[in-house]
Formats: sequence, C-alpha cells, structure tokens
Amino acid sequence: MTQQQKSTRTAKLIEDLLLPQLSTAILEWLSNNAVSLNANKQVSFSSLHQKTLTIELAELPFPISLSVNVVENIPDMIVTAQHENSDCTITTSLKTLNKIRANESLTQLIKQNELDVHGDIKVAQHFAQIAQALDIDWQSELAKHIGDGPTYKLVNLGQQVSHSLRAKVKQFDADVSEFVVHEKRLIVTNSQLRYFNQQVEEVAQATGALAERVDKLIALNSYEKSS
Amino acid sequence: MSSTEQHTQPRDEAKNNTLRNAESDKSTTHFGYKTIQKDDKISMVADVFHSVAKQYDVMNDLMSFGIHRLWKRFTIDASGVRPGNKVLDLAGGTGDLTAKFSRLVGRNGKVVLADINSSMLNVGRDKLRDKGLVQNIEYVQANAETLPFEENTFDVVTIAFGLRNVTDKDKALRSIFSVLKPGGRLLVLEFSKPEQELLSKAYDFYSFNILPKMGEIVAKDGESYQYLAESIRMHPDQQTLKTMMDNAGFEQTSFKNLTGGVVALHKGYKF
Repeated sequence: MTQQQKSTRTAKLIEDLLLPQLSTAILEWLSNNAVSLNANKQVSFSSLHQKTLTIELAELPFPISLSVNVVENIPDMIVTAQHENSDCTITTSLKTLNKIRANESLTQLIKQNELDVHGDIKVAQHFAQIAQALDIDWQSELAKHIGDGPTYKLVNLGQQVSHSLRAKVKQFDADVSEFVVHEKRLIVTNSQLRYFNQQVEEVAQATGALAERVDKLIALNSYEKSS
Repeated sequence: MSSTEQHTQPRDEAKNNTLRNAESDKSTTHFGYKTIQKDDKISMVADVFHSVAKQYDVMNDLMSFGIHRLWKRFTIDASGVRPGNKVLDLAGGTGDLTAKFSRLVGRNGKVVLADINSSMLNVGRDKLRDKGLVQNIEYVQANAETLPFEENTFDVVTIAFGLRNVTDKDKALRSIFSVLKPGGRLLVLEFSKPEQELLSKAYDFYSFNILPKMGEIVAKDGESYQYLAESIRMHPDQQTLKTMMDNAGFEQTSFKNLTGGVVALHKGYKF
C-alpha cells in the first residue's frame, strides 16, 4: 500500500468515526466556557460578529472553523469542521503555531512558506488579540469546584509535569538529531554542506578553465590547418 | 441456522409482504411492517410522536449512545449555512438542528422549525426558548407533502430522521424542491442500510430486541420503538433515496454513509 493510499484510508477512518465533529464539539464547549470565564471586561467581540476564521493544520485531515455570533453583547462561539464561508483561512502546522506563540514574525513565516493566509488577515489578527486579552483565572475557577488545597497541589503537579515534559521533548529532539546527523548520517550538517558547496565551486571553476583551454586549442588547431 | 438468521428471516418476509401489498394497492402504505390505508398513516405516526415527545431527547441519547449529536453536527457542517440565510428544519422535532442554525444565520437570517406533530413542536419551542433562542426562529405546523411556503423561499432545507415517517416521500421531495431557492440545497439525514453484513445483524438484534425494551422502561412505550425499528427497515436504502431525489428534480445528488451506513446523509441541489 502506498503512502498516499494509507493517508486516504486514515482520513476516511477519521471521517467515518466522526472525529472532526467530536473534536469541534469539544472545542466549541471549551471556547464558550473560556469566554464566559473571562474577567477582562474590556475585551469586545463586536468586531468579530458573524466572522469566521478557518485553520487548516497540516497534522489534521479536517479544517477547524471558528465563528462568532454576538447577541446582546454576549459572544457565542461556534466551531465547525468545514471551510465554506470563511472570512480568513490560515494554512499552517502545529510547529508554526508554536513559533507564532513565541512571537516570531508573521511576515517572516509567510515568506518561509510556513504560513499561508487567504482572505481578510484582520479577522485573524482580531482573533489573536482577543485570545491574548482574555483574562481567565483558571486556578480560582478550579478552586470553586475542588477547593483551595487540592487546586494548589494539582497546579503544582501540572507545572512539574509540564516542565518535565518540555525537558524530555528537548532531549528527544537532541537525541534524534544526533542519531540522524552523526550516527546514521542521513542528514548533513551546515558545515558539511558549506564544504561540499565550496568543493563543487572549485570543480566548476577548474572545469570552466579547462573548457576555455580546450576551446583555445581547437581554435589554434583549425587556424594551423587553414594556413 | 444461527439464532440471528432465525430472527431476521421472518422479519424480512414481513417487510417484503408489506412492500408487495403497498405496491399492488396504491391506496395503502406501510406503517412499520403493517399495511394500512394511506389516510390512516398520518394519525398513526402522530400517535407515536405524541406518545414519545416528552422523552424524545433522552431516548435519542440513550438509543444512539449520544452519537445522534455527531450525526447532526455532520449535517450542519455539510449545510454550508451562512449569516443571513433562510433555513427550513423540516420534521425538526425538538429543535436540535434549529438551535445550531439559529446561531449560524444570526439576526439577519431566519430558521423555520416545521413539524407535523404539535406535541413535538411544543417540546421544541419550549426547549429553544429555554436556551434563549428566540430572535430568528419561527414555528410552523406543516405537512412535508404540502409545504405552506412560497416557491424559492429557503437557502437550505434539512429533514433529519423525519422522511421515513412521511406517507408519500416523492410528493414531499417535490414539495421541498419547490420551496428551495435556486442554488439551495436539501440535506436528508436518515437511518439507512448498514454496509457490512456483520454490523447489519448486530444492528438488527439491537433494534428489535433491545430498543423496544428501552422504550418500555424509559418512555413507557415499547410499541412506538418497535415501530421505529420497523420503519427504519422499510425506509428506502441509500441508492433508492438518491434516485428519488433525482426524480424530484434535485441535481448533484450524493450520499455519505455515517457509522457504517446505519445513518446516511443525502445531499441534493436545486439549480
């Protein structure tokens, strides 16, 4: 079975299991809850009323569209798994989304073909601004349900797990690159590439000089024959 | 012969007899596996839904293990509804699709929740009002065969788990075609024929042995859920329904099987 057949089969399986609908249902529930817990009353969704932002992630076989409907100043988030009627569509990957979170320049990412934006980019900017401006005190929300002590312990545990996971991911990345570059030699390093380029350039120069010399000899030979 | 086969054979015979009777006598139709006079079907179906209306949502969740919500989300994703659209949610019952459409079309759009059954319509109206959805929804008691709307009115018409209860399905499809705007689309979400034999047998066992008992316990009405199981088997399969839509004038008709064909979503356009 080819790679393309495999990915088509996986995409069909995901669709048959209704995973896009399950994911969007969960996202819709989460986003509406997050918005309802926002303590920053300066945040206004009116500029996004009836606007739709679609995100197409390379890792997901379906798009995620986020629409906002504001009724009597209360925002209602609607999440669907289709890209019809989108005001702005962003095609990217999870890795690039992390770069955006790390404040890497959008223009730079677009130039590097890591990010593709179709439609009104202001819609995407408004969504990003609102997401950053939301002020949600997750700890006190959690404390309302399970109490202060358990919340403190849970948050501490979460931070430790997250810290340890980040360290593990970093170590894994380093191990993989070590294995691929040095052990298996599947990928060349920058210095190896530079050295190779330099050698190619030298060969090209030598070949050029040789060609020039051969041309001169041919010309001389034909001149001697004619005279 | 396996026990499942012993169970399904008499059922297949009953289904075939009913279909033969309905075909040979144009004044009759089917009500589950029973052959009845066409004029009686509306009131008999009405009795079923008057009986189950109050427990309808709970039973849907129980019977489908909540999957009906994902089937409906799939329908909404396929509808392409946008702000300002006019949507008809036909046989809309307790308003699951209407609730979502109302949010999608916004203040400038409109959703009409239509159902032939007043009890279902009342439960739907109460539920949507409790959710605060009042601005752009109209409630109409209507028969799908003779829709009381002007031609070319709606951008999208949906009928979810309703078409199999309609007496004359061809007439209903023609009526829907008439009220759709050119460029509009019809979405029919309905129980259908499972693709795999094994799934089909398991589904038969579940529908005829467990469903009526569940109905008996929760809705205190096992008969209505026996009718549900029978009416699903009497409903046209995927390809037949697609042909019926073609015959009614719909173009670019297609269907998508969900959960192995237990349910199918048919789509057709009016141009």
